[in-house]
Parts: sequence; C-alpha cells; structure tokens
Amino acid sequence: MSIAPRAWLVWSLAAVTVAVSTNNPVYRGLVALAALNVLLAWLPAGRRVRPLVLVLAVAAGLAALVNVLAGHTGADVFARLPADWPLVGGALTLESLAFGGAVGLGLLAALLAVAPLSLILEPHDVVDAMPAPLERTGIAVATSLNLVSGFGRTFTAVSDAQRMRGWRPRGLRSWNEVLVPVVLTAIEDSVLLAEAMEARGFGAGRRTSLADRTWSRLDVAVMGTALAAVALFVGLRLAGAEIDWYPYPTLYLPSINPALIVGCLGLALPGLAAPMRSR
Amino acid sequence: MRGLRLLPALAATAAVAAAVAALAALAPGSPLVPSCDAAGSHRAALVAQHGDGSVVTRCVAFDAASITGEALLDSSGVAWSGQTFGGFGIAVCALDAEPAHYSTCPGKESYWAVFVSRGGGAWQLANVGISSLTLADGDAEGLRYVPAAGLPAPPPTPARVCDSAGASAGASAGASAGASPRASGAAGSTAAATAGAGATPGGGGTAGATDSLALAASGATAAAPAEGAGAADASSRAGAASGSPGPTPGFDPGLVAAAVVGGGLAGLALLRLAAARRRVA
Repeated sequence: MSIAPRAWLVWSLAAVTVAVSTNNPVYRGLVALAALNVLLAWLPAGRRVRPLVLVLAVAAGLAALVNVLAGHTGADVFARLPADWPLVGGALTLESLAFGGAVGLGLLAALLAVAPLSLILEPHDVVDAMPAPLERTGIAVATSLNLVSGFGRTFTAVSDAQRMRGWRPRGLRSWNEVLVPVVLTAIEDSVLLAEAMEARGFGAGRRTSLADRTWSRLDVAVMGTALAAVALFVGLRLAGAEIDWYPYPTLYLPSINPALIVGCLGLALPGLAAPMRSR
Repeated sequence: MRGLRLLPALAATAAVAAAVAALAALAPGSPLVPSCDAAGSHRAALVAQHGDGSVVTRCVAFDAASITGEALLDSSGVAWSGQTFGGFGIAVCALDAEPAHYSTCPGKESYWAVFVSRGGGAWQLANVGISSLTLADGDAEGLRYVPAAGLPAPPPTPARVCDSAGASAGASAGASAGASPRASGAAGSTAAATAGAGATPGGGGTAGATDSLALAASGATAAAPAEGAGAADASSRAGAASGSPGPTPGFDPGLVAAAVVGGGLAGLALLRLAAARRRVA
C-alpha cells in the first residue's frame, strides 16, 4: 500500500495552503495533528520524526515568545517589564500570548505539512511529481538547498584542517584563511555537480522511469479530499465568512465553521487510511 | 494486529464527528451574507471619544439593510485614516486628527478601540475591523482613543444621537453622497474634523456610500461633560465585561466538532507512537 508521489505533493501543498490561509488556531492545530498522523503512519523504517517535532515545537514557542515581548496590546495584563527596556519594555498581555501561540501553531502546521516531501519521499520522487514546466525549477531549487548544507560541511572541514595546522581566529582578517578555501571549494563542488548532472542527461528531456505507476483509489481520494479542503477554505473566505481569529483587544474563543472542520478531517485521510504497523 | 482492530473504532469516531459537523453546518449561526431586499430609511449612530474626553457624534441615514462600519465612518464626514490587516479588516489609525501623526498602526501607546451597540444595547468590543463590522438600523458604532494596555473603556452611550437628527436625516439625503469622507470634516462638525489626519490609504467610499447612503445633518456635540461620560462609561463597561465580545456565548457546534476531531487525531497519533515504540523494543 502506497501513495503516489504526485498525490503527496498535492496533499502537502493543500495542507500548507490551509495552514497559511487562516490564523485561526483551531484549524491550524487540526492541520498540524493531521500532518503528524500522516508522518507517523507513513514514515519509512530508520527515519525519526521526533527531532523534527522538537525543533518545530521550539520554533513555535519562540514565535509565541517574541509576540508576547514585542506586542504590548491587550486587555489582560499578566506582567510588566520596565518601560525603558527597548522593544520588550511594557505590558505583557494574554492576548499577545494567544496570538503568538496561533502564529507558532501556523509555523508548526505548515512545516509538518511539507515534511512528508523530505521524510517520506525520495528526492527523485519529488522531482518526478512536479509538473513538467516546473521540473527544472524544482531540480535547481533542490540543488541550491543541497549546496547550503554542503557549504556548512565544507566550512567545518576547512576550519578543522586550518586549526590542525595551528591557525587560530585573531580578528576578522584572520578568517580569510578559512573563507577563501571554503569559497573555492564551493565553486569547485558546483562545477563538479554541474558536470555530473550533465553526464546524467540533465536538460535532455523529462526523466523517464521503467514502471508506469497506475493511480489507485487511495491516490485519487487523497488528492480529492486535499483539493476539497483548499476549495472549502478559499471559497468560504471569498464568500466573506469569518475564518480568522484576532484576540485583540480582549481574549475570546475562536468561532468555528463546522464545514471547515470537515475539510481539516479530509486532510487526515492518508493517516486514517494507513494500517497500524504493530511489528 | 491489535492496532488494526482499533482502526474501525477510530474510523467510526471520525464518521460520527463528520456527521455532527455536517449537521452543525446547517445550524443557524453559520456565516451568512445579509440580504439586501429590505429597502427603507435606516439610521446608525457614530460616537467617537478622544483621549481628552471630548466626544464627536453623528447620525447616518442609509437605505440598505445594513452598512459597514467603514461606510458609516465615510458617510459621517469625520476625517479618518486606517490600515488593512488581512482578514481582520481595517483598523482605525487616526480619527478626527487624533493622533495628528503616527508611524505605527495601531499605536504602541494608544489606539482607537472599536465598539458596537446593537439595537440600543450596551457597548460591546468589536473583535473585527470596521470594514468587517456590519450595522443595522438602530445600531451604533463607537470609537474611543484608549491606552494600548488594559481593558478599553467604551465611549458614552449612543442613546440620543439619532433622536435629534431625525428631522434632517431625509433632507440632506444625497447631498453628501459623493463627498470624500476621509478627506475633510463635514459641515456641522464641532470637534475639529481636520482634513488629512494622517495618510488616507485604501479607496474611499463604497458603492453603498455613493448610492444609498446619506449623511444626516446630525446633532454633533463636542466635549461631552465628563460627569455624564463617566456615568455612561461605568454602565457600559459592565456590559462589555460581562458579555463576550466575539461570538455569542452558549453551545457552539463548531467547537464541539473541533474538539471531537482534534481528540480523535491526537489519540490516533498516540496509538501510532505506542506502536512504533513496540516495534523498536
């Protein structure tokens, strides 16, 4: 039992769209829970979701903290910082905390929604899943992102090597001895990568595969429910329905449209359809 | 295999939740666009209280079934400027030359809090921007320049704002329909409705403002007595504190459906985590 890469791509884009199309924490929380279920259900053996969730939870917490410290608006003041402290000085309010929490939840939901593209799918699956006009763009973006981590690895290797030769950081100018080799190595790596991609036929046409994948009912259902969720959120917003939540100036419970709950439940379909792996 | 046996139960829970949600969607309270089939002359009041306590009031007549808070401000002739915040709508940044200049909106020290009074009732804080606020006949829009921190106190009661304007409401209908409301103060304004109170972003009047809205020559009153305003504040604050400013209190099927679905998804995630731990062990 598997889901086609293109269905995953549509599901991810739909979940991200829903997560960013509203700042209502209830909808965002449901999208995050749906994405977490999907990850847990389909994660290949040997890959772990816990580090990702921890990092995202810290990021979401920081987003909430920043909003509490920087936004001083709201009726329910729970603490005060000295007013002469730059930026953070002033009243700390429950409303800012709640809104910051909603912002953090949005971040969490959006990143969990795109996580299957890297944790469940292989990179070549993602490239194959993209529409033909975006294939080369996708490869370029994926390659660029790969170079970022490569740059970091090169920096660590070069600075370690220089330290073994007795180099120690002494002011900005001394970093030339690390940065110049790092830049040169990055350029060399880029040229090597370009030659390797050309040798493998990059730009000669669309990638082909030996086996043509046929669409299963699950693929169609995943895509259909994901697109329906997006249509619900976008349609109701265009119709003027209140799908956002602003807790200012006083805190209150967000209003919920039950139809949108159904939409969020549709996004959980890949997680609900997967069998429970007990061994 | 035990996990597999749990799946039908979870699927049944989800199905029940979906059914509850689908039924709840049919219940009253779902967002609806107000119908505009009723024609006639309606009135809505505007009460704006400055930081120094002075008060500006207007009575606006309109023919449509409802009017937005933005259109009411536009038609009132009181100079104002605002800024749009996504789905929140438009926040009032400056009104009637207060603040004279601003760099952030809403202001860090003080801001214009928006209230609404339905059918002559107590002021309720509006948790949406004035462009999202709809007012019907007999409603009132209130604004008060309040400190950023703390519960915003409401403006004075709108009870008599439209009483004195009744005779002149029809007479001036149409006279100000084409006016540019954010650019200048209206005739009759006694509270220094200065032109150009900050920038004027956004695009002016709505279709309703040009066709069906009419500015009533209101009994504008400035600098309301502090005692009277204080008495009104006290009663209104109690109303605002007791009533939730957002959705109507009581049974909310949407929240119940969200709780059921959220609980189901969280439970399923825990089951999967437990299964994964068993696999590792």
